[in-house]
Amino acid sequence: MSGTHRQRMALGRSALVALLLLWSLGPMLWQLYTSLRSADALLLGSAGLGGGWTLANYTDVLSGDPPFWRYMLNSTVVGALSTLFTLALAIPCAYALSRRGGLLRLLVGGGLLAAAVFPYVLLFLALLEVARQLGLANNLLALSLPYAGLSLPLAVLLLQAAFAELPVELEENALLEGFSLLQRLRWILLPLMGPAVASTGLLVFLFSWNEFPIALTWLSRSELLTLAPAMARIAGSSVFTVPYGAFAAATVLGSLPLLALLLLFQRQIVAGLTQGAIKG
Amino acid sequence: MSALLLMAPALLLLLAVFVWPLLDYAWLSLQAQSVFTGLQPEPVGLANWQRLLADGRFWQDAGQTLRFAVVSVGLELVLGLGFALLLHQRWRGRGVVRTLTLLPWALPTTVMALGWRWIFNDPNGPINALLQSLGLASVPFLASPQLAWQTTVLADVWKTTPFVALLLLAGLQMIPADLYEAFALEGGSPWQSLWRVTLPLLRPYIFIVLLFRLAQALGVFDLVVVLTGGGPASSTESLAVYAYLNAMRFLDFGYSATVMLGMFVLLLISSAGLLLLQRRVQVRA
Repeated sequence: MSGTHRQRMALGRSALVALLLLWSLGPMLWQLYTSLRSADALLLGSAGLGGGWTLANYTDVLSGDPPFWRYMLNSTVVGALSTLFTLALAIPCAYALSRRGGLLRLLVGGGLLAAAVFPYVLLFLALLEVARQLGLANNLLALSLPYAGLSLPLAVLLLQAAFAELPVELEENALLEGFSLLQRLRWILLPLMGPAVASTGLLVFLFSWNEFPIALTWLSRSELLTLAPAMARIAGSSVFTVPYGAFAAATVLGSLPLLALLLLFQRQIVAGLTQGAIKG
Repeated sequence: MSALLLMAPALLLLLAVFVWPLLDYAWLSLQAQSVFTGLQPEPVGLANWQRLLADGRFWQDAGQTLRFAVVSVGLELVLGLGFALLLHQRWRGRGVVRTLTLLPWALPTTVMALGWRWIFNDPNGPINALLQSLGLASVPFLASPQLAWQTTVLADVWKTTPFVALLLLAGLQMIPADLYEAFALEGGSPWQSLWRVTLPLLRPYIFIVLLFRLAQALGVFDLVVVLTGGGPASSTESLAVYAYLNAMRFLDFGYSATVMLGMFVLLLISSAGLLLLQRRVQVRA
């Protein structure tokens, strides 16, 4: 009796897992399918599964002006720069915050939490004005500055929690040995923070890779566009025609690096996100 | 002193990115700066604010944004809790499935918004193709105001539920297993344990998720711009999109800043409401 009950439970769970996967992956698999179909097969729908397969959508997108890989390269450059900037600013700040108590910590901590929750889309107009006045528009290096600023709240909170977990004796011993602050950070503390630094860096990279409103307003030269505004431009350029095979090829290409990143670093990404929830 | 020195670079950038814009908006909302003033700021007192109070489109967008946020986040919470409960149980392949379900969250919103436009295309998208092959009429998902906003909610729920599920999963992992065993020994059913053990202990996590997701959903921008462009007839336009249009299309920077601040006030009221709700639930429990 209880055996069949358990079997039925397991069966029900398998069905639920299948539904979950279908919901999560279905839309993307459909994009993959669409990207490999010819325009005729898509619009007439009559070619069946046998015919109508093509790589033309990919060659179209990759030979565009500028070619699609250019946007992905730009996104990668901005992502890498933003991650470097963020970590360079966040690590000393998080260290100092974790070693301080009292009012300063309370104030800065509370401010960081509020900033981490804040919908940053509200800031784009003022940031655009900064870009105009300082001549920072159409510059990928400059774009990573606001990205670093927007990533700082979460980054400092995550790293601060990781610093707080390191035993104080470790640093006290190094202090007795005559290590300076920078030496302590570099040789004693940071080597132990690998996982926290990696998960923070990954979250910053993901944010920069996906960011839209600021990239949309700071970049106008098409060869400098990052992925998100490039997608919007592709979507807006052809409201009345239906080049969906090319759209789908673009979405597949734009998703692949993230899929790889997620599969390679799933543990760090999950750890970073859940840490944020528990410590926040 | 050295602590402040270490924090100074980060704090300065934070002030520049988060605080300065809000001060700038406060000043700009008291100026006329548009094509009529040659894009130069001219002080106009509270004219922008008076216009905001009487602006039907602002209030329509505020209502739409709020409705979008409440419905999406509500659905994400229920669905995300279901995902989390399923992913918390022990079964083979759980690790891989956890990673795969996170994929929608990791993708750029603009990328999948373009994907949804094809999936809901009328009449060539797969859903309408399926309906037609069943002999049904094709549905104008993105051309009818009612359906367009439902489609937008669906796309948002698809993208952000994994995030909600992951945070709730972190919460589930903090609940000691013996609590469930004790509850079962006293004759409680699994359904009762969900309401009497899981949800009360998950409350802080639910609160964090709600706060974060509500704030983000009130700022919805990327999805609307690419999926519907705010249409049809601005029925899916959010406040962020309206502020954007005022600045970049109507070149009315003074009023755009005022809309941003109006949105900020809405955000503050919603967060305060959520905090009050959390207090009351806590007191009652």
